[in-house]
Amino acid sequence: MSVRTLEGKRRWLALGGCLVWLAFTLFPLYWVAITSFKTPIAVVGGPTYLPFVDFEPTLTAWNELLSGERGAFYNTFIASLIVGLSAAVLATGIGAMAAYALVRFTFRFRLLSALIFVIVAFGGFLLGRNVLGFGQGISLIYSFIAALALAVISSRFRLPGPELGNNDIVFWFVSQRMFPPIVAAFALYLMYTEVGKLGFKLVDSYVGLTFAYVAFSLPIVIWLMRDFFEALPIEVEEAAMVDNVPSWRIFFGIVLPMSKPGLIATFMITLAFVWNEFLFALFLTSSKWQTLPILVAGQNSQRGDEWWSISTAALVAIIPMMVMAGILSRLMRSGLLLGAIK
Amino acid sequence: MTRNDPIKHFFIWPALIIVLLISIFPLVYSLTTSFMSMRLVPPTPARFVGFGNYADLLSNPRFWHVAGTTTLIAFISVGLQYVIGLSVALALNSRVPGEGIFRVGFLLPMLVAPVAVALVARQLLNPTMGPLNEFMTLFGFPNLPFLTRTSWALGSIIVVEVWQWTPFVILMLLAGLQTLPDDVYEAAALENATPWQQFRDITFPMLLPISAAVVFIRLIESYKIMDTVFVMTGGGPGVSTETLTLFAYQEGFKKFNLGYTSALSFLFLIFITVIGLVYLAVLKPYLEKHK
Repeated sequence: MSVRTLEGKRRWLALGGCLVWLAFTLFPLYWVAITSFKTPIAVVGGPTYLPFVDFEPTLTAWNELLSGERGAFYNTFIASLIVGLSAAVLATGIGAMAAYALVRFTFRFRLLSALIFVIVAFGGFLLGRNVLGFGQGISLIYSFIAALALAVISSRFRLPGPELGNNDIVFWFVSQRMFPPIVAAFALYLMYTEVGKLGFKLVDSYVGLTFAYVAFSLPIVIWLMRDFFEALPIEVEEAAMVDNVPSWRIFFGIVLPMSKPGLIATFMITLAFVWNEFLFALFLTSSKWQTLPILVAGQNSQRGDEWWSISTAALVAIIPMMVMAGILSRLMRSGLLLGAIK
Repeated sequence: MTRNDPIKHFFIWPALIIVLLISIFPLVYSLTTSFMSMRLVPPTPARFVGFGNYADLLSNPRFWHVAGTTTLIAFISVGLQYVIGLSVALALNSRVPGEGIFRVGFLLPMLVAPVAVALVARQLLNPTMGPLNEFMTLFGFPNLPFLTRTSWALGSIIVVEVWQWTPFVILMLLAGLQTLPDDVYEAAALENATPWQQFRDITFPMLLPISAAVVFIRLIESYKIMDTVFVMTGGGPGVSTETLTLFAYQEGFKKFNLGYTSALSFLFLIFITVIGLVYLAVLKPYLEKHK
């Protein structure tokens, strides 16, 4: 019995409040679930709440959806699944590597190198586009390579100015989340179009969309995985180092298996983010790689008041994440995530 | 302790290059475009206009209106999310009966796609066939204009935001509450401190750092709101519920007014940065006081 446990009247008051909030939370989900089993007449006739009592449930809406009468649901679902899974796997993998490096290795560079990168990237782009007459896409690629090369070379010399370390890199990664995604989404669309003119199709393609999602998930993956790695005991790794085990084997053979709970949690959070994401999919896809949120949003204008079919569409987007939440909470209860989430 | 090993470059560069590519390109591209007049439809050649786009935007009443609407939605919904989230987290932390069920149930909204939430909200708020209409009719208010009158539509959007994102606040604050040490409360109980005194003098101050972080994250994220509004009202009635992201989308993707949209994105970025900095500056003395 903790000292913080409520007693008497307050306890029942808290319970009442929680029940009200639970009803508010669950009612919309309940509503969309029952509406998907309603007939058109049951919808138009005003709100009904209890299957078999208020209305006769039917499977019409689900049959229509699954038979493909209501548009290319299978394709969209599979596209969403492929993009979601691969982006989550890649982001978790690449992000975990970076997070580990930022926790265990020392990085030092001068602020001046970072400034050189930004200035050369800007200057090179303007130079290439306005003076040398390259296309936008070519100028971007050249200026990026030049900027990166110069920044790396410059970091070899002893430059003046303040020195930056691991924490500054982490801060830079995380600060990318502050960026309004519309800035990136719109520019990314134009950039993909430019690259498309060079012969690589990126708009409405698997590579283009997955790349954008990986890049936008990385900051959060690095942030989360960094906490997990910091909580790991360093003694195991030190013991392995005494035995001269190379660093990459320490990471893949010891650290990754130890941080499985953290990896699973991070993977699921990333998957949920990609699965539900709307803005990037809206800009970067048009038909073949369209994801579920776009299709679901489109139901509104196409179907108007056909709530039964809108509800099935919404449920197709909702249910996989609910299943995932179920798995996650089971994992938590079975203790797999114990010690990882502190 | 950190160590040094050339392999660190192999570990960090993939992530570094991907994020650099996707952050510096849009930045360079839209910053340079924002100083030019450039349209794709009808196609007009690029022309350098300096701060012309920015001046246009700043003197456009629609921009200020949109910024105001977004601020209103963000601040009110985050405020409500925090108050409700804190109360629920406190209740869960003090072991109300059935805590396990609440914990799972409360987190569900966070995982639902915002577009799906908005579609369900449209059904619930329908002025003739929705359940909310029937409920309000009981009190003698039939056919309320939930999505077609400005103030009602704003209210509805805020309620939907609160529904979806309070779980995040609950999750974070609950994690924070569980790290608070028990001995302080035991001492307070010895002194016969009332529950209200315990909350005001122990729980709230000790929770302040995590509260500040949660509110900050939610505030920044709320400014990006787009999908919910896009589906629920489409910015309407008129443009009265349009948000910054939606405005930028309309200008950029519907009108292909590139220079203007880029300038708008940058004003948005500056706006969010200023709000973030002001927020941190206002909170700093309190955070330091309770360290």
